Amino acid sequence: MNAIEFENITKKFENFIANDDITFYIRKNDVHCILGENGAGKSTLMNILFGIYKKDSGKLKVFGNEVEFSSPLDAIKNNIGMVHQHFMLIDDFTVLENVILGNEISNKYGLDFKTAEDILNKLIAKYDLGIDLSSTVSSLSIGLQQKVEILKLLYRESEILIFDEPTAVLSPVEVDLFFKIIESFKADGKTIIFITHKLNEVKYISDRVSVLRKGKLVYEADNNKNSALAISELSNAIVGDVSNIIVTENRKINKNDSPAFELNNIFLSVNNVRKLNDLCLNLFMGEIHGICGVEGNGQSELVDIVYGLQKNFTGQYVKNVSGGISIVPDDRKRKGFIKEFNIGENISLKGANFIYLPADTINKISDKIISGNDIRLSDKTAPMGNLSGGNQQKVIFARETISDNNILILVHPTRGVDINATAFIHNEILLQRNEGKAVLLISSDLDELISLSDRLSVMYKGEITRTFNRDEYSGYIRSESEVEPETDPEFLQMLGKLMTGIND
Amino acid sequence: MDLLSSVISLGFVAQVLRLMTPFYLGASAANFSERGGVINISVEGFMNLSAFSFAVISILTGNVFTGFILAVLVNLIFSIMFGYFTVSLKINQIVTGVGFNLFIAGLTKFLLVYIFSSSSNTPRFEGLPELSLFKNVPFFGLFLTDYITIFCFLLIFISVYILFKTKFGLRLRSAGENPAAGESLGIKIRHYRYYGIFICGFLSAVAGIWMASNQNSYSDGMIAGRGYIALAAMIIGKWKPVNIFFACLLFSAFEAFEISLQISGSDIPSQLIQMLPYFITILVLIGFIGKTKPPAADGVPY
Repeated sequence: MNAIEFENITKKFENFIANDDITFYIRKNDVHCILGENGAGKSTLMNILFGIYKKDSGKLKVFGNEVEFSSPLDAIKNNIGMVHQHFMLIDDFTVLENVILGNEISNKYGLDFKTAEDILNKLIAKYDLGIDLSSTVSSLSIGLQQKVEILKLLYRESEILIFDEPTAVLSPVEVDLFFKIIESFKADGKTIIFITHKLNEVKYISDRVSVLRKGKLVYEADNNKNSALAISELSNAIVGDVSNIIVTENRKINKNDSPAFELNNIFLSVNNVRKLNDLCLNLFMGEIHGICGVEGNGQSELVDIVYGLQKNFTGQYVKNVSGGISIVPDDRKRKGFIKEFNIGENISLKGANFIYLPADTINKISDKIISGNDIRLSDKTAPMGNLSGGNQQKVIFARETISDNNILILVHPTRGVDINATAFIHNEILLQRNEGKAVLLISSDLDELISLSDRLSVMYKGEITRTFNRDEYSGYIRSESEVEPETDPEFLQMLGKLMTGIND
Repeated sequence: MDLLSSVISLGFVAQVLRLMTPFYLGASAANFSERGGVINISVEGFMNLSAFSFAVISILTGNVFTGFILAVLVNLIFSIMFGYFTVSLKINQIVTGVGFNLFIAGLTKFLLVYIFSSSSNTPRFEGLPELSLFKNVPFFGLFLTDYITIFCFLLIFISVYILFKTKFGLRLRSAGENPAAGESLGIKIRHYRYYGIFICGFLSAVAGIWMASNQNSYSDGMIAGRGYIALAAMIIGKWKPVNIFFACLLFSAFEAFEISLQISGSDIPSQLIQMLPYFITILVLIGFIGKTKPPAADGVPY
C-alpha cells in the first residue's frame, strides 16, 4: 500500500517552475529519501504535501484517498507531521507547552497538564527520547530540540513523518541516535520521508530514493538487500553534470619554522563552567588543521579566542604572522551576512575603505564575486536572504578570502550546502592552503575533515586529546566518488571513540 | 516630622494599595496585548478615552452604569481599529500607538469644549457607588473601598490563571513568542492577537473609569502619564502578573509620597518627587534589576 502518491504535481512561482509534473509514490512503512540540490524543488514538494503551498495542478493521495490541503492543519488531520529544517519551537516555553500547543487537553479547571504529561512520558520512554518535559526549550541542545519536534509529531499520532534535512545540525553521535529513533518508527509501521544532502546517510537508512533536479523527478531506486544503491549513480543524478567539479589533490606541505599562531596551556571558564582545559594548539602556514569533536566541547570558545572575541582566558596566545584573520562563521544566517543587503553590499561591509560607495561600485563588486565563484542567480541586486544556502556560503567564503589575511578560520564551511557548492568550497579551501595560507577547519562532517586536513586534531572537553598527521590516516580514505569522499569505517570508529572520550 | 509619621503609617500603606489600581489595570492591559505580540503604547490614550467617555456619558444619562458599559464599548471599538491597523494592515505598532495617543488627546479636548464649553474639565458627577462590605474591617477598609480595586487585586490571580493555566493563554503566548510555530500547529495567530488587544482595551477602560470615578469628574490631562508608567511597570515586572504587581506598588508608593509631601507642606519641591518614578524607571531599564526579556515576537507584525 502506498502512503503518499504524487501524480503530475506542478507548482509555479511566477515564471519559475519549482515542481514540474512530478509523479512518484511513497510506500507505507518505508524510509523514503528525497534528494536534490538546493533549489531542486524538494522543499516545495514537501510544503505542498504539508499544506503550506497549494499545487497548481496534479493529484495528491494519502493512503489512497485524494486530498486537497489548504493549511498545515489539514495535513495534521491526515496524520502527516513535519519537522522543519529550522525548528518551529517557542524558546521560552517548556517542552510540555511546546508539544501540547494546538492540541491542548483541558479539564474543567483549565489545562490538564497531568494527563498530557502521562501521555508524553509514555512516548518518551517508548522511543527512548530522553527529554525532560519541564525544561525550557532554549536550554536544550539542538539535538534535544529536534527530539521535542519529534515528540510533537508522536503526540499528534502522525503516521507519515517528514524530516527536512534533520541531520544537518547534528553531531555524529546525535546522528546515530537519530537513526535509532527512525528505525524504531519503522518498526512501529510508520512512514518516514527524509530529505537530505548526505549520500552516506541515504545508503544507510533508506528503503527507496527519489532524486529531484531542477523541479523534475530524474532518478528513482530501491535500496535493499537485492539492489543496493550505487552512490556514484546517485550523485550523478543529483548534480547532473559533474565535469565542472575539480578537486585539487595537490599537497605541498611547507611548514615554516614558527607557526602562524600557537595557543599554549589555555584555560577558559564561562559562567563558572570550564570550557577550555589546558588547550595547546598550533597552526602552520600552508596547512589545513582540522578539528573534530562533538559540538560543545570548546570549539566555539577556541574560535572566539583566536579571533579575539574572548579575552578572559589564561595561558599564552602568540600570533607570529602579520595581518588580520579571516573567518567563515558557523551560523551564516546570524553571523555571516546581512540578509537584507545584496552581495556587493555584504562584501563591502568588510574591508571597504571608501567614503563614497555608489551603487555602481557595489554592482561591480557583485559582478566580480558572481562570475568568480560560479554563483547562479537571476537578479544580482537581490538581497542575500533570497539566495540558496550554497550561494550564500560562496559569497561569505569569497569575502573572507579576497583579503590577504594569512589566517583563515572555517567553521562548518559546508553545513546545509548542496553537493555542487560543497565541492566548489572544498576546492577553494585547498587553493587557499596551496597559496600558503594557514587554515583552521572546524567541522562536524568527518569525511570533509579527513579528506581536506593535513593534520587532524580531536577536541574533547576543552582540550586536544589527540593529533593525527596526514600519513597516519590517508590510507583510510576510500573515494568511491569524487563529490562524496568516503572514509574507512574503522578509522571513523576510532575517531568516534576519541570524540566521546572512550579509551580502550 | 509630620511627613515622616504620615509615611510610616497604615494609612499610607493603604493609600499606596489604593493608588496602585490604575497602574496595575493599565500594566495588565498592556501585558495581555504584548503577550500576544502587539506592543500597545496607546494604553495612555485608551485610559484617557474611557475616563472621558465614562464621565460624559454618566453626566449626560445620569447613570454611572450606563457610563461604565458604554465607556468599555467605546474602548473596544477603538481596539478593533487598533487591531485592524497593527494586525490586519501590519502597520508599525509604535507609530500606530503614538497616533492613537495623539488622536485621543485631541479628540477629548475637542469634545470637552464642544459638549461642556470648557477646555479643562467636565462638571462634577457622582462616581461609581462605594463598597461598604469592608468598611469596618481595620486596614482593609481603608483601601478596599470600591469594586474596581477589588477586581484589581483579583486580576493578579486571574491573569496568572488565564496566561499560564488555560488553552487560551498558551495560544496567546505562542502568538507573542513565535507566531510561525503556532501557525504550523494550526493556531489562528491573528485572531489571538486581536483577543489580546481586546483584553487590553477592556482593562485600560476599567483603569480610566476608576480615575474619573474617583475624582468625580474628567479633567484634561488627568491620566498624566499613568499609562506610560504602567508600561514601565510591565517591563520592570518582566511581563509576569505577580512581578508587575510589585512594580506597580513601587510607582504608587511614589505617588502616595508625593501626596503626603503636599499635605505636610514640606519644602521639598513636589516636581522633584514627580520626577522620581521616571528616574527609577530609567535606572531599572538600564539593568538595575537584571535583564528584562520581552516576548520574542513582541512588536513584530505577523
